[in-house]
Amino acid sequence: MAVIEVEHLWKKYRRPHVKAGSVKELLLAMLRGQRGYDEFWALRDISMAVEAGEAVGVVGPNGSGKSTLLGLLARVLKPTEGTVRVEGRVCPLLELGTGFHPDLSGRENVYLNASLLGLSQKETRARYDDIVDFAELEEFMDSPGKTYSTGMVIRLGFSVAVNMDPDILLIDEVLGVGDEHFQHKSFGRLLDFKKAGKTLFVVSHNLDSVTALCERALWMDRGRLFRDANAEEVVVKYKRAVEEWEASLAEAKAKGYEPAG
Amino acid sequence: MREFAEVLRYREVLWNLVRRNLKVRYKNSVLGFAWSLLNPLMQIGVWYFVFKILFQRDEPNFMALLVTGFLPWLFFSQTILDSTACVVQEMPLVKKAYFPRTILPLSALLSNLIHLSFAFVVLLGLFAIWGVDVTVYYLWIFPAIIMVALFAYGLSAMLAAWSVFYADVKFIVSNLLGLWFFLTPVLYPIHLILNGRIKSPDNWVEFFLADHLPLLKQLFMVDPLTIGVEVFRSALLYGGENFIRVAAAGETTPAQAAAIQAALRAEYPLLPYVVGAAVISVVTAVLGQIIFNRKADQFAEQG
Repeated sequence: MAVIEVEHLWKKYRRPHVKAGSVKELLLAMLRGQRGYDEFWALRDISMAVEAGEAVGVVGPNGSGKSTLLGLLARVLKPTEGTVRVEGRVCPLLELGTGFHPDLSGRENVYLNASLLGLSQKETRARYDDIVDFAELEEFMDSPGKTYSTGMVIRLGFSVAVNMDPDILLIDEVLGVGDEHFQHKSFGRLLDFKKAGKTLFVVSHNLDSVTALCERALWMDRGRLFRDANAEEVVVKYKRAVEEWEASLAEAKAKGYEPAG
Repeated sequence: MREFAEVLRYREVLWNLVRRNLKVRYKNSVLGFAWSLLNPLMQIGVWYFVFKILFQRDEPNFMALLVTGFLPWLFFSQTILDSTACVVQEMPLVKKAYFPRTILPLSALLSNLIHLSFAFVVLLGLFAIWGVDVTVYYLWIFPAIIMVALFAYGLSAMLAAWSVFYADVKFIVSNLLGLWFFLTPVLYPIHLILNGRIKSPDNWVEFFLADHLPLLKQLFMVDPLTIGVEVFRSALLYGGENFIRVAAAGETTPAQAAAIQAALRAEYPLLPYVVGAAVISVVTAVLGQIIFNRKADQFAEQG
């Protein structure tokens, strides 16, 4: 059964020209009949489905729409056209330590963070020890968040997320966080998830971890789903495409052309 | 209605945010929650000095008049200020996690309601010292606060949504609140406005005010804040006698007071204005929610 179903999904963004234009600029632009922004399509006609228990990686250059797609699956963004259907408890690991407040203690932050991921007070209490154990931050839980290092925030955020027992884990560029030891540990936890039959949806530029975790990969390019196939195959082709592109850039430069972007 | 069910489903987030707002406001202060009342009391101390001592204003129960007027006002203005910033401040959350966005202005409203109730408990203590009687009319403060809360929520929701797109909103809001404070009968009795006139208009603003004075007075009287503050105050201090009585309370002789009272009552019958203010509150709340919902989908794409 498909737990993620995306049909003919389009997403349009407005890209403002100037962040805060002066009144004069604004009036002049209006007189000329210009709008203060461009519209561009971050996603163009994406259709795909993910079965329960599948692990799917997403690769592609910056600006290809990977994070936008994840934002739509996490319900943070709304589709411009098309439909997104996601079933089961979703845990978006979009940015670890989201909502981490510098003035609250580690414990209070765990509860706030967990409630944002959809956990009740009672459920969080039951998981609290596991969360702290996994993050290895026992002695810091009563200190305010501002005393935490970036790595500690990330560890705690990751720990809350993986301990909420989601059906679907959405991951954006958070593979390989923390120190070497924590990286191994969190990667191991993700493999356990897979074994337990959970669904993983991973956006990463770390191509090795994509092939290690996922059987299937989506290659996105300028908002389109360019290829949807076996992870090894997609990653190999993607790597080759990047190499070719770099080679052609170098060649163009050698001939004295300016790269056109 | 679906929005309401969603908020209910995410109530844990709401409670956590409210708890956080409360904890964070007085973080690192030694006196903590006592500031909920100390703040307004110190402000009132300043006014006491200015009006009673510098300007020698003679008003019975002047301190009590100020406190009872200032608490609902403070609740209103603080809610508006907190909510105007709430979505912008929580942008990291909005961008990275799904929850019904209504929770943000709602949490600002609820935390300020809690501050108000802390302050109210201490106020009752002050009343005990001043020897003000507790009566059954105290119950009128609930409709008064509900009215102010609905009005504040409606304005909060729309301001919160607009300030995501226009940073100008917060500057306009803080200045308008400064004006609105003086248009709310906190520092002065209500008849000051109702009996007021423009003596010798000599510029276009004053001419405009003079020409439209009756209409402007009626607007003043349907302002949910005017009614909210007056109902709150007269429930606590005047045993439920309406604000017209409050208005006349400062006059010198009983006969004078009775005359003013009768004249004002005839000109401003209470009921229509209370109903009018209540309708305005409800309409504002609904309108605010509609505007907020319409913008909420775009919050995560901003900034």
